[in-house]
Amino acid sequence: MIKLALRGARANLGRLILTLISVVLGVAFVSGSFVLADSLRSIFDQVSEDAFAGVDAQVRGIENDMNSTDGEIPRFDDGVISSIAKLPEAQYTEGGLFSFERAYTIDSNDEVVRPTGPPVFTGSWGGPSPVSSFRILDGEPPTAQQVVIDPVQAERGGFEVGQDITISLPFGEPEVFTLSGTIDFGEGGTGGAFFILFDLPTAQRVLGLPGQVDSVVVAAADGVSPDELVTAISAVLPDNLEAVTGEVVIGEQKEDFGSFINIFGNVLLGFAIVVLFVSTFIINNTFATLVGQRTRMFGLMRSIGASSKQIMQMVFIEAGSIGLAASGLGLVGGLGVASALKQLFSSAGGEFPEGPLEIRTRTIIVVVIVGMGVTLASAILPALRASRVTPLEAFRSGGKTARPLTVRIAAGSAVLLPGLILLAIGMFGNPGGTAATLACIGIGGALTFIGVSMLSAMFAGVVAGFIGQPVAKLRGVTGRIARGNASRNPQRTSSTVTALMIGLALISGVAVLTKSILDSFEEVLSESISADLWVFESNQRLEFSGLLVDQLAELPEVGQVAGFSPTAIRIDDEVLTATGFDSSTGTSVVNMGIVDGVAEIGREGIAVLDTVAEKRQLSIGDQVDIEFEDGYATSLNVRGIFDDASVIGADWLIDRRLTTEHRITDGITFAGLTYADGVDPAAGRAAVEATTSSFPQLSVQDNTEFQEEAEGQIAQLQIVITALLVLCLVVAFFGIVNTMVLAVLERTREIGLLRAVGMTRRQLQSSVRWEAAIISLFGALLGVVLGLLLGWAAVIAIPDSFVSKLGIPWGQLIVYVLVGGLLGVIAAWFPARRAARLDVLEAISTQ
Amino acid sequence: MTTTETLAAAARIVNGTKTYGDGDAAVTALHEVNVEFGSARFTAIMGPSGSGKSTLMHCIAGLDRLTSGEAFLGDTLLADLKDKKLTELRRSEVGFIFQSFNLVPTLTAEENINLPLSLGGRSGDREWIDTVIDTVGLRDRLSHRPSELSGGQQQRVAVARALASRPTIIFADEPTGNLDSNSGSEVLAFMRRAVDEFGQTIVMVTHDANAAAAADRVLFLNDGKIVHDMSEPTAERILDMMKSIGS
Repeated sequence: MIKLALRGARANLGRLILTLISVVLGVAFVSGSFVLADSLRSIFDQVSEDAFAGVDAQVRGIENDMNSTDGEIPRFDDGVISSIAKLPEAQYTEGGLFSFERAYTIDSNDEVVRPTGPPVFTGSWGGPSPVSSFRILDGEPPTAQQVVIDPVQAERGGFEVGQDITISLPFGEPEVFTLSGTIDFGEGGTGGAFFILFDLPTAQRVLGLPGQVDSVVVAAADGVSPDELVTAISAVLPDNLEAVTGEVVIGEQKEDFGSFINIFGNVLLGFAIVVLFVSTFIINNTFATLVGQRTRMFGLMRSIGASSKQIMQMVFIEAGSIGLAASGLGLVGGLGVASALKQLFSSAGGEFPEGPLEIRTRTIIVVVIVGMGVTLASAILPALRASRVTPLEAFRSGGKTARPLTVRIAAGSAVLLPGLILLAIGMFGNPGGTAATLACIGIGGALTFIGVSMLSAMFAGVVAGFIGQPVAKLRGVTGRIARGNASRNPQRTSSTVTALMIGLALISGVAVLTKSILDSFEEVLSESISADLWVFESNQRLEFSGLLVDQLAELPEVGQVAGFSPTAIRIDDEVLTATGFDSSTGTSVVNMGIVDGVAEIGREGIAVLDTVAEKRQLSIGDQVDIEFEDGYATSLNVRGIFDDASVIGADWLIDRRLTTEHRITDGITFAGLTYADGVDPAAGRAAVEATTSSFPQLSVQDNTEFQEEAEGQIAQLQIVITALLVLCLVVAFFGIVNTMVLAVLERTREIGLLRAVGMTRRQLQSSVRWEAAIISLFGALLGVVLGLLLGWAAVIAIPDSFVSKLGIPWGQLIVYVLVGGLLGVIAAWFPARRAARLDVLEAISTQ
Repeated sequence: MTTTETLAAAARIVNGTKTYGDGDAAVTALHEVNVEFGSARFTAIMGPSGSGKSTLMHCIAGLDRLTSGEAFLGDTLLADLKDKKLTELRRSEVGFIFQSFNLVPTLTAEENINLPLSLGGRSGDREWIDTVIDTVGLRDRLSHRPSELSGGQQQRVAVARALASRPTIIFADEPTGNLDSNSGSEVLAFMRRAVDEFGQTIVMVTHDANAAAAADRVLFLNDGKIVHDMSEPTAERILDMMKSIGS
């Protein structure tokens, strides 16, 4: 039986290879996701271990639920260093201070040197020590007006050790430092991030945090265990500090990196599953067709004594051997996919640390299970059908009976409806937790696609006929034949293009969502913004010093200026986000839609979003008890109720003086300003830019530029997502090739007849290509319509503060439909040639 | 063996030999055959299985090429033509009627009838096509698909298609082989009328003595050679002849 099955597989090798490719693509993507995530995890684990290799204990501020805003950790007085150093258990003690996106090196062209993506760290380094996270690569550790940086940054900026380099600082004018050396973080490079390190006093000075550190690292004296050290240190620490062992730090560090890598890996895996899902349709379609074509053979085998179970086994063995081969190839292909993904993300602005790709045993097991599982699962229905072939069918000629329409409608609806319900629950309901939401959307989406695919067989013939109308008109009888063939087997037409449909549905859904985000954004800009210029950190929208607001306010060219600073607050034991803003000037740059009271809330006032006010039954004049990040508690008077939080990004508004005093940092995320009356925009802008030049990380943009930049960034994200989804189209492509090959084979006799009565090879080729074009256009159209619906549902599901209106990128959608059609034409190239090359006589005499 | 004809030949083969395969496995399907098919004549080709009758037909119809010798369709030497020209020649000068699977299932009866013409981008002689359609009695079936027609009707559509372009010659390969005797006689009657009334040339390969008796002339093949040339055949004489060949 195995031999027979394998022989069957070999006889249909060409067709099975195409199927194999589609499985391999999906499997390779799965394996690639694992390989990439595992490799990154290894690299970062190594980095974490190296960095804290000599640390036995670390002292740090205790984080509570409010004080970790924007990734900055709590600072504390460096007086604690000396009291720790005095402990007999401590052999070596060192305080450190770090911040990021604060200072930047500036090259000879006056350009800021910074990586795209990863952050720039500014901090302290006291030179090689038992607890140091850094090691010197070249030169000397920094003292006084000296600095060390990482070699990548040095190369990018063209800096040589010993050279004087200009560094922009968060407060005040840029200063010149001597580059005393280059350093490496741990042993594993810097993971793409840049480092600018001074000695501790200089770091405290330039960061504006004199006498402050954010960590103290300690090496234990001989014979003292880390735990003993921690106990000893804890005894001398004030309440707001804690001591932990180096092991804990390493663990936390790994977890931090790990959780990011997990998200990244899971997103990739998500795409991989989509690709796999798409390929199941191809596998299923191929096996269904192969089984259909071999009905007589199965009948013959049954009549000479094969049991129906054996027939089923045969199909499964065939599928299994494909699954196994696909798993093997996919595993290897995963390495290629991992490299390609690295490339893709690098080109989109991310930077990946160098390191070898690794295949773990877990990856191999998962890949084999997935590859075999997907293939076998796709072959279940065809195998069942094969097993039901009766011996009599050996003597009947062809003509499989299609399932009645009503059964198909019932089956399709039975799949589609729960799919839609799950999808709706996932998008609009609250199934509890991200995982549940994703599961609802994922399973619901899959069922929806399967259901649509099943139901689409009902109208595939009619629609394909309709699409083929112009082709039939234009191309005469060749077109009519193409059209007829495209609509003659609706079941096959619909299952052939399911992969294409899903791929394009996702791609156009993303396009619709992107357009909606951009349109909503444009609306926000035009309705909610009255500022002439915006100032913000252009890389990651990180915070920058609020001092800039004061500097800008002093400019004669500037009319009003307001800074915005997000902060955690506690109201009724609930941690919430508020935005601190300059309440006296805020309304001149942002329109938050005050519906009651005023925006000028002042230091003792607070403003609330209307829906929140309603829920909490707050009205003008009420008092709200509020606690700040540093624990300061006060009561604020409700002075304003607003209805537009799109720019502010929070439900609560307070005066920025409060956030400046009661946050860890004085940072703001953006500032908006208007020109003074009668100031020429160009002159006003020049003045503003002159002021911000000491903060090279900042961008100054007007609304148009702001929008263009956002468009650019969102478009880039769309490109990355689309690029990943294009793999679905590749799978779909092979599916179409496969079906066309099978269709041509099935119609050999008809082709012979056509050739005999005078169809030229060229006409035949053109007719096969048009057939594929019509089929693909059908799938593409269906996909784009589905994508439109999905995008629309997503727009409704996503909160209005993010996406408020539906935007339809007609141009893109039309292009997608045409691309789909073109894909079909290209996919039919080889099958069409093959059809044209058939020997007329042999074709006619085929049974 | 040479066959003389009173009328000009619509097709002829001169010293035609056809071998399949090489060396030991070589099979000679036609052995130096010389034959002419007269215009406006209905010729039947008979012979046991493997006698070469289908090969003979295929070679004159431009579906297959002779290994040696020359095949002419009208005055055209087929060996000179490349696939494209040959296809165009089949389209305009040759009509085909096969035993089964004669029609393109996705096209209507009318589209099938017009198929060779539309493939050439021609609309053909409408009046003539109307006459043909009426002759075969398909007027009320024109918009039907092949699957909606009976076997006999399908063959009549095939006859109509073969006639539609007024080809130099029509080749029919067992046209009645799959039909019951009533439908078979009907189809034969139409072919007979096409010859008698429209001056069409028809060459028919058949196993059926009754079918062959409808022809003006019957050629008997055996082992790749023409062994007998019978004019004004009757079913009885044909059967006798077949018996003598078979024994």
